[in-house]
Amino acid sequence: MGRFRVEYLILVGIVSSGLAAFSQSSAKTPTNSTYVGSMACRTCHPNVALQFFRNPHNKTDVAKAVSAENAGCEGCHGPGKAHVDANGGKQTIVAFSELPPNAILDACLRCHSKDLNRANIRRSNHTQANVVCTSCHSIHRAVSNRQLLAKRQADVCYGCHSDVRAQFSQPFKHRVNEGFMTCSDCHNPHGTEAPVWKAGRRPHLVNSGLQNEQACLKCHTDKRGPFLYEHAAVRVDGCETCHSPHGSANTRLLKRPVVFTVCLECHNGAGNFGRQADGVTVQSASHNMADPRYRNCTTCHVRIHGSNADRTFLR
Amino acid sequence: MRVTWMFTIALSLTVWGQPTVAPTPEPAGSPRGDNWGDYNITNSWEVGYRFITVDGNMGEYRSDVNYGNGIRLLGGTLGVHSRDGKGKWIDELLLDVRGLGNDPYQFSSFRMQKNSLYRYDLLWRSNEYFNPALTISNGNHQLSTNRQMQDHDLTLLPQSKLRVRMGFSNNAQNGAGLWTGQWFDTRGDEYVYQADVRRYQSEYRVGADLELRRLKLSVTRGWEFFKDDTRFGQPVFPAGDNTTDRNRLTFLRRDEPMHGRTPYWRAHLHSELATSFTIQGKFTYSDGERNFIYDEAARGTDRLGSDRNRQILVSGNGRRPVTTGYLTLSWHPNPKWTFTNQAGYHHSRMEGDGRYSELNNGTAGLTLLSFQSLGIRTISNVSEASWQPWKWAGFFGNYQFSERRIRSVELLEPELPATAAPIEQINRLKAGTGGIRLQPVKPLRMSFSAEVGRNDRPFYPTSDRDYHAINARAQYRVAKFDLSSDYRSFTNTNSTSLFLHSSSGRSWAANGGWRPFSALQFDGGYSYIHLDTLTGLAYFANFTLLDQDRSFYVSNVHTFHAGVQTQIKKRVDFYGGYVRTQDRGDGRTAAGTTSMPDAVRTPETAPAFVPAQVFPFSYQAPVIRLSILLHRNLRWNAGWQYYDYGEKFLKLQDYSAHTGFVSLSYSF
Repeated sequence: MGRFRVEYLILVGIVSSGLAAFSQSSAKTPTNSTYVGSMACRTCHPNVALQFFRNPHNKTDVAKAVSAENAGCEGCHGPGKAHVDANGGKQTIVAFSELPPNAILDACLRCHSKDLNRANIRRSNHTQANVVCTSCHSIHRAVSNRQLLAKRQADVCYGCHSDVRAQFSQPFKHRVNEGFMTCSDCHNPHGTEAPVWKAGRRPHLVNSGLQNEQACLKCHTDKRGPFLYEHAAVRVDGCETCHSPHGSANTRLLKRPVVFTVCLECHNGAGNFGRQADGVTVQSASHNMADPRYRNCTTCHVRIHGSNADRTFLR
Repeated sequence: MRVTWMFTIALSLTVWGQPTVAPTPEPAGSPRGDNWGDYNITNSWEVGYRFITVDGNMGEYRSDVNYGNGIRLLGGTLGVHSRDGKGKWIDELLLDVRGLGNDPYQFSSFRMQKNSLYRYDLLWRSNEYFNPALTISNGNHQLSTNRQMQDHDLTLLPQSKLRVRMGFSNNAQNGAGLWTGQWFDTRGDEYVYQADVRRYQSEYRVGADLELRRLKLSVTRGWEFFKDDTRFGQPVFPAGDNTTDRNRLTFLRRDEPMHGRTPYWRAHLHSELATSFTIQGKFTYSDGERNFIYDEAARGTDRLGSDRNRQILVSGNGRRPVTTGYLTLSWHPNPKWTFTNQAGYHHSRMEGDGRYSELNNGTAGLTLLSFQSLGIRTISNVSEASWQPWKWAGFFGNYQFSERRIRSVELLEPELPATAAPIEQINRLKAGTGGIRLQPVKPLRMSFSAEVGRNDRPFYPTSDRDYHAINARAQYRVAKFDLSSDYRSFTNTNSTSLFLHSSSGRSWAANGGWRPFSALQFDGGYSYIHLDTLTGLAYFANFTLLDQDRSFYVSNVHTFHAGVQTQIKKRVDFYGGYVRTQDRGDGRTAAGTTSMPDAVRTPETAPAFVPAQVFPFSYQAPVIRLSILLHRNLRWNAGWQYYDYGEKFLKLQDYSAHTGFVSLSYSF
């Protein structure tokens, strides 16, 4: 009870100091002769300007405490005086269509680096492949004002990841095409830390769950445990040991059409694998694989993701 | 101009993907909206009727598609914006809905914000899930559940240097299911019994983000609560799956509630010590706990024909504290070079205790306290460099070293005296990647990378051990035309003392889109995904251990898609598309033949494994959709989508389905 009271006091302190900071934010906009203000842009770019009140970036134009170099059109496109004096031209303004990828990244991160979800963007696989902000986002022609994506999120991703599109066209799949899920439910396209819940190498750009685990467990919470008897496959190598997360021809997104090959490919006793380091346990002699009855392993080993009552996951 | 703008949105929605036939992407009403006081309002609501007819396996249809008949709010959007950004309480209100009414996939998102003061986001989703799992459990693990998830996030002072965040999420799964189990001894029969699935998870979180000069600090405190109160009912049939067995289960009661919580801390520090040097740290700690009881009573007859009753009571708890930390240093000495080093640490320790009591025919059996732990500690370091010597070419590379230590204390025998076997093993992964990115002309971007990895002691026979991967991608994009192609391959060899596991996967894909003029667009693509794996097996057949057999699996998936969208006289929008997915397997004509290479084929290759080497099937879904502008604020829409699923060898799950809809989109 005392612990909760302390946390409550901390929360109240944070909130009140934030409100205090907000009430004092009345800095004046600095004047700079090279900045002309967003009103000047309306003359030649009315289509953009007239709709801009819906754009999230419009906040920078109406907020009181934003300096000229961060406000409105010039916040992204730079000072506009030369552009106005020259009656337009891409050479006299910061035109994103002309910028190299790293310059686009620098421009956007001037403001957007404060979101720590983007902390790994410079080292992400996307940035390495020259896929930067404007590859996916369209500031003035977005389909949604929420994330300013150029297309529906899945379509943005499918544009490059054609193999993933094919996986989501399989009979069993997570419902991305149906709109129930989005790619970013599991992935962070802006980069992630090395997935140390696994071996640190793969998968790429996958968010981690609540206990810094595979993203699958964010929704499939009943599989998370902790269980008294963990199936180490889940905990050590992750769900992808048995499942294909995007889509599969097999029920339950399994990697194989029948369950006994999924199990037996690991449970073959070979080498120094597994928890005992002497091979993953071979099934006992009572399992007669010549009898079809024994080929549905999970019919008996029903708690295969982990059990609290049986070390062989029977109950 | 207005219609062109609307059409641009429509094209953007449909250019690549082929989503389900409804909702219609073309909105009703003017995209500029209507002014109402100081606010501007845009909206479009589509109400219609879905219809389906299904021939064949309804269970598989429901697993794959699951749309039903009835009236739906197929889609809707609402946007309210203050025109000057100075609304009294609201500057922006956004609402998107999809499938409300009774669709199996329902979605709703809501955002409300006042600039500089607050931002509230809500995401609500509902999924009707149905899966008979026919191929993996003879349909005995059927699930028909509803999962509802919602996420609420409130940010106070979203544009200030101190932001306060609060959030709540929940995830509820309810419905019916079938479970299986085995009773009275390990060679007893298997029975199907009913389950009333009731799982609920909720999460509360509060945090703050602070910016002080070049320092950014984010702290989050959260609490997750979980409970699984699934109730299990009577067996579906007193006789089990094995009709020759004399085993009978005449009464069953089972409850196994599991409740728990996971409080956690997350802290994230990001600091730009200079314009060219950044340092960031991330730390998370969570302490998962689950308390459980397993209470079961069963009566029946064992396989020898004797009357049996059995009671089992298990209680205890499981705990799993997890600590994770990252430290990342980045140095950008000039625009051409970037160096990054990220070190990561992860420690997870699973432990718990349980008390197991069993009464057989009224006789108290063994009672013991079992204990087991699984600890995993991983240390990882990635060093990366990126060099952009020329505008048109850049290079990147990285080297990673990971060490994972797994400690396990396993109770090998449940009977007393318990034998606990402490195990410790360490495996190290070393991997390197090198790549090049090219942009010889502005519309053309290419990248190529290769990766080699070595894991000295993988955990499973199927884990990555000696592997290499290749990724290549090219994209050409101009205003009216785009073409992209990518190639990926991943080859892994994991040899052991007795067996060889190898897997080889490669995929190749090409996509293109062409917009000859604003009212006509084509897109299409093809992808090929290949996978073959070869793994050693060991299993018993008639009490004889066969340890030289092989599992050989081949998959060759071809996917083709094409679409055309056109607009006629700015009034009629038409979309036609086609998707076909086909796994050709290894080309065999009968399930009982094998394509296993002679070099690895063994006399013991059991007939059961031969059909499991492939799973050839085809799945296709043509779609057409028509949308007619009747009035500035009203559209009439109709569409049809056909699904055809067929397996080559086993026809049990085949189905075909006509789905469609008729709707009106209205904007007020």
